[in-house]
Amino acid sequence: MDTMTTALAPGRVETFDERLRRLLRWHFDPETGSAFWLRQRRLLDFDPLRDIDGAADLVRFPDLTEQLRHVPVGDLIPRGLTGTGFRVYESGGTSGAPKRIIDRDYRRRLLSWAMQRLRAHHIADPAHWLHLGPSGPHVFAYDCARYAALGNGMFHTVDFDPRWVKKLVAAGESDMVKRYVRHLLDQAAEVLRSQPIKVLSTTPPLIEAICADPELHAAVERTVETIIWAGTSFSPESLRQVEEVFFPDTTLVGIYGNTLMGVAPQRPRRPGDRHLCVFEPYQEAVWIDVVDDRGAVVDYGQRGRVRLSLVSEEMFLPHVIERDTAVRVEPVGDATLDGLAEIGTVAEVGDVRVIEGVY
Amino acid sequence: MAGIVVEPIVCGRPVRSLDRAPLADVRGDLLGEVGMVPRLMAVGAVTRARRAADGRPVGHELLLRAAELFATADLDGETPDEYERRVALAAGLPRVTVRHAVADIVRSLTHLPRTTRAELPESRLGDGYQTAWVPAGRLFAAVMASNHPAPNDSWLHALALGYSVLVRPGTREPFTARRLTLALLAAGLAEHRISFLPGERAVGEYLLEAADRGIVYGGSDAVRRWADSATVTTRGPGRSRALLDRPLTDDVLDHLTVSAAYDGGTRCNNISLVLTTGEPRQVAAALGARFDALASPEVTASDATLPVVDAGRAEALSRQLAGLTHGATVHTAAGADPLVRLPDGAYRPLPTVLSTDDPRHPAVGVELPFPFVVVAPWRRADGTAPLGGALVLNLLTDDADLRADAVADPSIRKVTCGLTLPWDSTPGIPHEGNLSLFLLQSKGVVSTGTRDHALA
Repeated sequence: MDTMTTALAPGRVETFDERLRRLLRWHFDPETGSAFWLRQRRLLDFDPLRDIDGAADLVRFPDLTEQLRHVPVGDLIPRGLTGTGFRVYESGGTSGAPKRIIDRDYRRRLLSWAMQRLRAHHIADPAHWLHLGPSGPHVFAYDCARYAALGNGMFHTVDFDPRWVKKLVAAGESDMVKRYVRHLLDQAAEVLRSQPIKVLSTTPPLIEAICADPELHAAVERTVETIIWAGTSFSPESLRQVEEVFFPDTTLVGIYGNTLMGVAPQRPRRPGDRHLCVFEPYQEAVWIDVVDDRGAVVDYGQRGRVRLSLVSEEMFLPHVIERDTAVRVEPVGDATLDGLAEIGTVAEVGDVRVIEGVY
Repeated sequence: MAGIVVEPIVCGRPVRSLDRAPLADVRGDLLGEVGMVPRLMAVGAVTRARRAADGRPVGHELLLRAAELFATADLDGETPDEYERRVALAAGLPRVTVRHAVADIVRSLTHLPRTTRAELPESRLGDGYQTAWVPAGRLFAAVMASNHPAPNDSWLHALALGYSVLVRPGTREPFTARRLTLALLAAGLAEHRISFLPGERAVGEYLLEAADRGIVYGGSDAVRRWADSATVTTRGPGRSRALLDRPLTDDVLDHLTVSAAYDGGTRCNNISLVLTTGEPRQVAAALGARFDALASPEVTASDATLPVVDAGRAEALSRQLAGLTHGATVHTAAGADPLVRLPDGAYRPLPTVLSTDDPRHPAVGVELPFPFVVVAPWRRADGTAPLGGALVLNLLTDDADLRADAVADPSIRKVTCGLTLPWDSTPGIPHEGNLSLFLLQSKGVVSTGTRDHALA
């Protein structure tokens, strides 16, 4: 367990690169590493212990996240971690089979940090929460349950299977999608009717659906003090509409994140910000770059693709190329990592329209 | 040239959107920038419009003033000439087509009272008995395409009859709907009656869901969802066609050429199919020779007659044409490129005639946004089925039984006989159904007082 101890001078915080080197020794040690990474080591054309010196070298690893779609999750648990209590989370499953990750303690630490970030926005706290978001294997509900617990609140949920909605959308079943959204809103309305909910955690499309329903919108405006949104993104104008037109007296906080990386809450606004919402990643365990097509980091203010690495005792996920794009924003205050703004999705490749009729 | 900025207009007021989209022209140059309406802005527009909607018809004088301004005024710094140029560059439409469309819209507004009267059954039913025709709802959504400006007259009709209107303009050509909106407001239309909402397709879908009545223009994909809707009427591909059952004279060839190529083939009622009782190859060759003579300067020239497309659409059309011509004969000048790259960077689709001996060839029934006609065989024994599924069927035949059958066929929306052009019309002639009846509902108004009426 030597690799887990830090020999740092008192008061000095381990840098990301130092932590990376320490955790590489952990993940690639036959005694402590996971079956998954010990198998991979043989396939690498470099020595991760000798050739990886810092965050900049992480791109030497291949993006192995495709394998998370089928690898038995037990193979992902580092042998050095004893005991039980691991949970399994799955990604959305938008592009094929879902990716699975395991988690025990990392996410609790991450979420304690994230809750501090949410508190910087003066969210309702202590407060009871209503989570109008995906349930099942999706990590969003677990995260919000944790925030509610950290805020000494009760946590109310609804039944929401986003994969079913995606199937309906893909099949062009718009009317069924509408009915399913109505079903979700009805469940939320039922909770709001009798429970003193102060925080609503939900997704941008559901906020839009709430806004399009004057009665429910009024109910949310009346009781909810804080809305946490995550899962998909708002366009700048959409966010302005939510904040200024539909919920002018409500605190809105966005969280960017995904199953693999964790969460990056919005940071409080600062004078001179060029974006309504800038997300800040968890610099203890995450490295994020916004890169162009050739993998070079783009300039501040430019859009690029999100490339990230997760480095914790439980999971090592280097060089993940996300489907998301973002505008790179200069770090502020004590942040060392870039901020991300205006998250978007990479345009579908090979998206060729067929011209038909005179249109 | 300074870039053009197109902003949304919500309940009569221009607003600036933080969501920006570039507007490219057919040459690949940046024409300007569009402030895009996200769904939430549309939700706000619908909420406000519904709260204020009063269902009152718009006076005809106001509409005539708006028509005049639309055709002649500077609106937000846009002269009629500049409007014409913008549409030509953005949609690739010949300027003469834009001028025709302006005239069409002015005419449509001028005739609106007559049109509505002609479209509704007699409503005075004797002393004290009347049928009132009233708007069937308060909000009307129009989801426009960019192929031609003239279809914007549909939402003007709804507005005139009492609806408050929310328009999502075509993505490539937002200028016509914007100019009409500005003209109406300048003519004194109450602000809450009109919103101009450029946005993504999902915004159009939302507007159609949220409004009481709506119309959507576009390809099969865009209109399919609404095909069976009682509140949304669709304007998909017209697939207009002619049945040629008479000798191929010069008159007939002139007629077919104009039917296919007028306005550069961009109208939904331009014919795209000729079914002939004669020899398809022979008909196609003669028509192809006429098509070869069609020529046009670049699209911004005042005498341009043929449309152009941008590089992306050119590539898609090229690929589609390659697929469609398989197993068919192409009757264009030998070696001609189906998409001609012009010096300004735009592409002109070559006016094209195909012939096939197979009435079920995949090209049969295909409509494309330029002069494009397929000639295929038809025999009396085939019945009216191959003639159906058409916005307009032009019958060039003396067969009275066939004419009766075509008029009776519910999948044919309009029948023209002899050398009548597909768009020939007078107020009251349905274009694709009766819009007044779609927009209005009938209501009995009885004021017979205490007069005694036996049930007998």
